[in-house]
Amino acid sequence: MTNPADPALASSLSAPASEVPAQQRQSEAPSNPSQPQPQTQPSKESGKPKKEKKEAKPKDTKDAIPATDGAEKLTGAELKKRAKAEKAARRAREKLDREAGGAPAPAGGPAAGGSGAGAGAGQPATPKKGHGQPAGGSGASGDKGRGLPRRPSGQTPGQPSPAEQKKKAEEKNVAVFGHLYGQQRRATVAGAGKEVHPAVLALGLQMRDYVVCGSSARCVATLLAFKRVIEAYTTPLGTSLSRHLTTHLSHQITYLSTCRPLSISQGNAIRALKLAIASIDPSVPEADAKETLCEFIDSFIREKITVADQVVAGSAAQKIQDGDVIVTFAGSSLVKQTLLNAHKQRKKFRVSIIDSRPLFEGKNLARALANAGLDVQYSLMNGISHAIKDATKVFLGAHAMTSNGRLYSRVGTALVAMSAKERAGGVEVPVIVCCETVKFTDRVALDSIVVNEIADADEMVTTQPPQQVTGLPDPAAAAAAAAAESSSENKKKASKTPVPPTNASPLEPNPALKNASSPLKDWRDTPNLQLLNLMYDVTPAEYVDMVVTEMGSLPPSAVPIVHRMSTSL
Amino acid sequence: MPSTSLALTPGLASFLKSLKTNPIDTSIDNLISLLKRRQIRHSRSCATATAYLLLRVISACRTTDAVKLIERVQNVGRRLVAAQPREMVVGNIVRRVLGLIREEAEDDREMDFNLSEAGSESQPQTPRVPDDASDIPSARLDGSAARTSLTSMFSLLSHPEPERLLPGTPSSASPSGRVPGPSKDIRAEVMEGINEIIDELGQVDDQISAYALDHIHSNEIILTHTSSTTVQKFLLKAAAKRRFTVIIAESFPNNHEATHATVSGASANDEESMSTESFQKPLIAMGITVILIPDSAVFALMSRVNKVILGTHSVLANGGLVAAAGTRVIARAAKVHQTPVTVVSGVYKLSPVYPFDFESLIEYGDASKVIGYEDGDLVDQIDVQNPLYDYVPAELVDLYITNLGGHAPSYLYRIVSDHYRKEDIHF
Repeated sequence: MTNPADPALASSLSAPASEVPAQQRQSEAPSNPSQPQPQTQPSKESGKPKKEKKEAKPKDTKDAIPATDGAEKLTGAELKKRAKAEKAARRAREKLDREAGGAPAPAGGPAAGGSGAGAGAGQPATPKKGHGQPAGGSGASGDKGRGLPRRPSGQTPGQPSPAEQKKKAEEKNVAVFGHLYGQQRRATVAGAGKEVHPAVLALGLQMRDYVVCGSSARCVATLLAFKRVIEAYTTPLGTSLSRHLTTHLSHQITYLSTCRPLSISQGNAIRALKLAIASIDPSVPEADAKETLCEFIDSFIREKITVADQVVAGSAAQKIQDGDVIVTFAGSSLVKQTLLNAHKQRKKFRVSIIDSRPLFEGKNLARALANAGLDVQYSLMNGISHAIKDATKVFLGAHAMTSNGRLYSRVGTALVAMSAKERAGGVEVPVIVCCETVKFTDRVALDSIVVNEIADADEMVTTQPPQQVTGLPDPAAAAAAAAAESSSENKKKASKTPVPPTNASPLEPNPALKNASSPLKDWRDTPNLQLLNLMYDVTPAEYVDMVVTEMGSLPPSAVPIVHRMSTSL
Repeated sequence: MPSTSLALTPGLASFLKSLKTNPIDTSIDNLISLLKRRQIRHSRSCATATAYLLLRVISACRTTDAVKLIERVQNVGRRLVAAQPREMVVGNIVRRVLGLIREEAEDDREMDFNLSEAGSESQPQTPRVPDDASDIPSARLDGSAARTSLTSMFSLLSHPEPERLLPGTPSSASPSGRVPGPSKDIRAEVMEGINEIIDELGQVDDQISAYALDHIHSNEIILTHTSSTTVQKFLLKAAAKRRFTVIIAESFPNNHEATHATVSGASANDEESMSTESFQKPLIAMGITVILIPDSAVFALMSRVNKVILGTHSVLANGGLVAAAGTRVIARAAKVHQTPVTVVSGVYKLSPVYPFDFESLIEYGDASKVIGYEDGDLVDQIDVQNPLYDYVPAELVDLYITNLGGHAPSYLYRIVSDHYRKEDIHF
């Protein structure tokens, strides 16, 4: 029992070797924790953690002995009490973790949670306690290992309280968007409820990392994951499927929404699924009910997305004529399908893709279209006015269509639509939105500020300058240098060590440049500087001429009517 | 490696250093190649380099004849402009220097004429040769007319032909001995004038920023674009007295690194800009909240923005401007949201050129900034575009602030005509 705890303690007391990488993965790694600092600082700093450990250790060893030989001696009441305390501690920790999110775990947080578990649980040292301890220990060690390089001077007053951290985080929030900074996106699966299905766990992370990105893709992926959840589901005794499955799903949904706020399409699909679950007769056997639900999911995906996409792509492709110059923004899957469809019909047209930082979704679209043999032109936001000059049509994808006819889509869409409508020549370019009705919502939006999603602002920092690729040390030269080096100085291991002081001048600048290339890298520590990474914007309805849906091509004003029709079906 | 290479990087600093030692023709070729290779980029750097070069050219010019000076400067100017036609400030500086020479020459001649006139009054019959007599007064009249007409409406209708005479006719007049050319060296005065232009280039941002408090009120939310030093200084000046918020669009592929550095105060030592500029404080140090956004978020935020302040590359006589790519959509979005757009620009960026073909003003940049080498497979298949500049029509701009004050876009042509002489517009 003590074994799981001890290495953690040992590793946390010594310079943490194995813990730190794990911790760093958890938080966005603060660029190379400089080596000398942890050595000089802990002497001052580690006073507190050490004390904690001193307190913890005797307790642990003391407890471990009765635990190892007398675990069964404990009464049922004691066990229950302990379990309760553990649960409370775990909850507290989870909460703190979530609050801290990807940011450096509030130094006091996990440690306090861990020690809280120790204190709250009193004497016990159960197997679970053993699991709890490393977390606490690693929290402390994490504090030492990665909290320090961030602090410039040695006069840090112990551990900044979570409140302080929170205040600091709030300073980095753009005031106007204060309401949109909820909890930070979940960084790991740690702390997810045990009810959450592995498929959903994986999907959550994929969505967070934009591996699954795009309104329809997220919707389909969610439904497929939920299908697996339902397949794996067994109704607990004493409840009915239609009642319990909904709550079971809502655990999954909560988890997903902590990874990334749910899209409108996801919300619509989930609503439909819940409705289907609720409408299942409790008398239906579980296997049948599950089959019905799986079928429902399949048919939902087929009808609302797969077939709908085909219909939309088909009818939107008809709008493309020979000689057209189509401008599109970012990477809508539906627009891609439309353009490929039109290309298959042997239409001769040119596509101009406008893309934006930080997601660069248009690159994938450009690649797909170019591979299919289309004539593609690619530019970034700065080229809008140039790209739009020869445009004959603008095709846009949608994240959602609001009930007041506005288009809610990837940030930048509004600029493209506006440029199309306010072109210098005075000739307006038709703006066509491709959108399945599953993306229609009864919400309304006037500006892009009330309803929006804020992504991690750090995404804006990591710009990879193109020099980096070319700046890589030439392998041959490096090998030669290494050989020369090893011949002169045999004691050095030439392979990995940051080799020669002589050779350093050509080689060294690259890592230095990598770090120096982003002056924003410590923007969180720079007072008064804020970064804003919006996900969506709202395009006024007057910029949209037509919404192509599977139910036909509509003006934006028809969105609420179609939405009502499609939901009341 | 960087420390040694920085000193050697061809640019404004190295050019100015070499200017003192190199022979004049080498310097001209040097600047031409720097301009062609875009190793001197920013408007101000180009203007400064041109001004110093012309200073050298004039001091090296052995002649004191105004006409020859004008010819020489025109010649050099044409080559410089041809090297980089889109850097319009080069032409602007050449025009101003030409204007200086003409003015000095006219002053000279006028003085002579007045002297001779005064002398001739003593003897009633003027011993002048008829053709000479007809020539000189006409030239004088032209000169004075040109100068007085700068503020009058008459020049609107004046015919440009007679003024063409100026370069040509006095040269035929001078051999006659009437105009005592060598008596006075106008070069010293011209060089003094060029030094004044150079001083102006150095001070222009401070002069513009003096107006900052007239234009920024408390608690404003100001949106700007790129890392223009003029805008930064303007905002800094206001930040000394007012509290406001600045939103900066990062202008991604071409200027984002400089913008990031400006915003965070990490002084990226840009040797293109004058050395003093890198020492300026960042806005955040003045307690101003700075929000950095991607260019795509401009429309989303525009509804909260009170004012858009833009820097520019050059300003055209019609009130339109050529500015960093992306400026146009920002100005357009501001117009849509009824947000005032202010452009800050030194007068030296004002170009008398009225371009009918806006497309010709646009320079395209390095496509690898848009799609990096890691996506090399794409580059073969698709057409990657990276425009460096946008043309922003005058109707999208509400106000220009130059070192002379604030102007409506429709007033700019007056400032142009104050600064450049008509005969120099197409030199």
